[in-house]
Amino acid sequence: MSTALKDLIRNPTVAELELVARYAALKADARRERLFEAFAQTGLPGRRAENWRWSDFKTAVGQLDTPKAPPARDPLARDGVSTLRFTPAGFVAPASLPAGLRLLAKEDVQAMGGAEEAPLGALAAALSGTVLVDVSAGAAVHLHMVFQGPGAINAARVVFLLRPGAQLHVSESHLGGAAFSTALVEFTLNKGAHLHRTLYQAGGADEAQAVTALIEQDEGAESVQTVLALGARIARIESRLVHRETGSKATLNAAYLAGAGRHADITTHVRHGAPACTTRQATKGAVLAGGRGVFQGKFLVPRTSGQQTDASMQHNALLLEEGAEVFAKPELEILADDVQCAHGNTSGALDGAQLFYLRQRGIPLAQARAMLTEAFIAEALEGAGELEEVLRHEAQAWLSHVS
Amino acid sequence: MDCCGGMDEHDETCTEVKVKDGVDAGTVAAAKRLESENYSAGFVTDIEMDFAPKGLTEDTVRFISAKKEEPDWLLEYRLEAYRRWLTLEEPTWARVNYPKIDYQAYYYYAAPKNSAKYKSLDEVPKEILDTYAKLGIPLREAEVLLGVEGAAETAATAREKPRVAVDAVFDSVSVATTFREELKKAGVIFMSISEAVQEYPDLVKKYLGTVVPATDNFFATLNAAVFSDGTFVYVPKGVRCPMELSTYFRMNAESTGQFERTLIIADEGAYVSYLEGCTAPMRDENQLHAAVVELVALDDAEIKYSTVQNWWPGDENGKGGIYNFVTKRGDCRGARSKISWTQVETGSAITWKYPSCVLRGDDSVGEFYSIAVTNGRQQADTGTKMIHLGKRTKSRIISKGISAGRSDNTYRGLVSVHKKAEGARNFTQCDSLLIGDKCGAHTVPYVENRRADAQLEHEATTTKLSEDQLFYVRQRGIGEEQAVALLVNGFVREVLQELPMEFAVEAQKLLEVSLEGSVG
Repeated sequence: MSTALKDLIRNPTVAELELVARYAALKADARRERLFEAFAQTGLPGRRAENWRWSDFKTAVGQLDTPKAPPARDPLARDGVSTLRFTPAGFVAPASLPAGLRLLAKEDVQAMGGAEEAPLGALAAALSGTVLVDVSAGAAVHLHMVFQGPGAINAARVVFLLRPGAQLHVSESHLGGAAFSTALVEFTLNKGAHLHRTLYQAGGADEAQAVTALIEQDEGAESVQTVLALGARIARIESRLVHRETGSKATLNAAYLAGAGRHADITTHVRHGAPACTTRQATKGAVLAGGRGVFQGKFLVPRTSGQQTDASMQHNALLLEEGAEVFAKPELEILADDVQCAHGNTSGALDGAQLFYLRQRGIPLAQARAMLTEAFIAEALEGAGELEEVLRHEAQAWLSHVS
Repeated sequence: MDCCGGMDEHDETCTEVKVKDGVDAGTVAAAKRLESENYSAGFVTDIEMDFAPKGLTEDTVRFISAKKEEPDWLLEYRLEAYRRWLTLEEPTWARVNYPKIDYQAYYYYAAPKNSAKYKSLDEVPKEILDTYAKLGIPLREAEVLLGVEGAAETAATAREKPRVAVDAVFDSVSVATTFREELKKAGVIFMSISEAVQEYPDLVKKYLGTVVPATDNFFATLNAAVFSDGTFVYVPKGVRCPMELSTYFRMNAESTGQFERTLIIADEGAYVSYLEGCTAPMRDENQLHAAVVELVALDDAEIKYSTVQNWWPGDENGKGGIYNFVTKRGDCRGARSKISWTQVETGSAITWKYPSCVLRGDDSVGEFYSIAVTNGRQQADTGTKMIHLGKRTKSRIISKGISAGRSDNTYRGLVSVHKKAEGARNFTQCDSLLIGDKCGAHTVPYVENRRADAQLEHEATTTKLSEDQLFYVRQRGIGEEQAVALLVNGFVREVLQELPMEFAVEAQKLLEVSLEGSVG
């Protein structure tokens, strides 16, 4: 490795050196270089970066060896739905594609906006090729994506273009199985396009996972996103959404369940770059001893362009046992005066009165706890439509397993 | 809309500020009255001054220490802080923008000539007395006794009024401290910190820097190196301080930084209410103010600390104004202790201030009530930290930010519940109101919970405010939103009304504000 490459990252860790080596082995490309440099500015982000203070990838990502545990089972897999697979060995296209959808897998890199704000997204782009998916107007198109090991590093990038009036239902399973997985998923929603995104994440106690989504919405476009995250040694689901034109709507819901040795981070950044756009956000979490939940939400309402914004952010978390940790930062940055922006944040234990009510009806404590927790997080999963039941079932399984 | 030729979108060059419908007219008027052109404390007192040589070097630190005839340990403390400060970088995380400060362009010590501490009020130069009189701060005990309404009242009614003892700090020195003798009878020590270093060195040494260590942050370290004067208060065991204590900080000299240090100790079971007021002349240059305030509350003690901060904010174009970089922290060291911060922030070009509570003692309580109003080109980044360490500790944060003109107003707060803080509680509510479409309001709360039995709410359920009170108001037919506003306003108003007359003038103006039309 040349000295210039080694010096890209200041005081690199073992993992960072490995990432630099990976990058150096890839075909040289000006855009790849630009993206890797964006990542190298911070390296694996950690405590010193304000937006990563609670999710320290620098410390958490150690030796990049293939984890012993196999990837998690995929609850969102369904017969008859075309599936894109992203593995450490590369991208596997489905045998057939649904009508209205075109796919192009390229080895070279496509430019990415705002790479400095999303260092792990930039890293994913720099270490992989680009899968382009074009969705044309017509009936709703269903697509499934799986990101899983085994392997050391799983970096993937997929770019969706939803043409005017297009409708896409995409489900994503981020199942781990690699020491470090980082995925960048981009969506451009043209006028009146509709995106329905459901995401499931699970990972082992020695795995790091990052999922970065960049979503841009034109006039009257609408997106509904539902996340169920079970965490990993460290896992971050980050969504950065821009309302580019008037009347765009977004729902960003998430539930996280973090057991011992698991870290689940839900981070969102929404820019109201056009008047009269709407954002609804509900995040619910439940954490056990030795687990950590992180929620960071930000609404940015710029001067003039952000007028008539209607946005609300809600994060509620349960600490089910002593030794659990929940860190939250619900942030507003408002530079326009004719707007409605609300945020709320709570964290605490289950309501003792509710537990008592169930127990005095003969329900054992563990079961009562599971029931109440399930009810607590259910609201965040309601938007998942046909996949709501599947996600709820996964949440139930997690709760019955731990209680 | 009449501006910009009736066009809907008015451009950057348009100076007229539109206010959207639904914002209470009284609030707009109240904010307008706080604009810089109405700043009444902006006069300059013409008096001969002693300065330290301009700039900051180790010699400056030695100069200040020598001026105050300090013991060696304090000089060492200062020098150590100074050396550390040289290695630190100015923090940049706050949402404020200002040109790089040239720390060598300031005087770090400025005192009226022959001010070695005036023996009695009669020795205080007339110019200074006039300054305080003009600001409405009575320094003569007789005047204080009669209250601000003065002659209109009879001595008997005046006596029933709560009295206020004042420590007046003029640039780098304390020029007068009233009611010292009477307070001494109750056992309360109330004097400038320079005097306390001489008279009660053990007490000062025991507590100085124990809440805000000299290593805390860039500005606190600077303060530890060059602090000039400030107030020292010690309330002994079981004593309820018989009157309100206050300090009035006045910056007068040109190109001068003020670096006061305040240390308040409430021993077991003691109670003290302390008020702080600040003003400065209107100047075109930016002046630096980097204070440190340390509060220590032992078992069952209570400290109430109120601030009316009205430093010169600069003119409407952002010229001049005070850079206010303040570290204020209270340590609820004892069980069942309580520290309450109340602040009315209307001044300063830049405010960087987070009065905090370390809730160390079991069952201790921290409170933070804040109203911050920004106008013109002011930038305020303010909030609080509540660090829950002890069992069953409680904290409450009520913050209201009102932005007008082209200003930016940020609430930045931290609620942190540590592993041993069994049953901790926090309630936070922050409201922001934007007056006009050229200002900004920002909210950056950090909430860290490491206890399952803690209950933390950030503007979560308004009913948690006080369900009984809310029910009471609602069952009289008042809507929920209005009822909450009524209760929050009522609460803050109640706190503000406890400010004595001298300080209440600015605060009273703010009582007219309402948060109707607030954005979040």
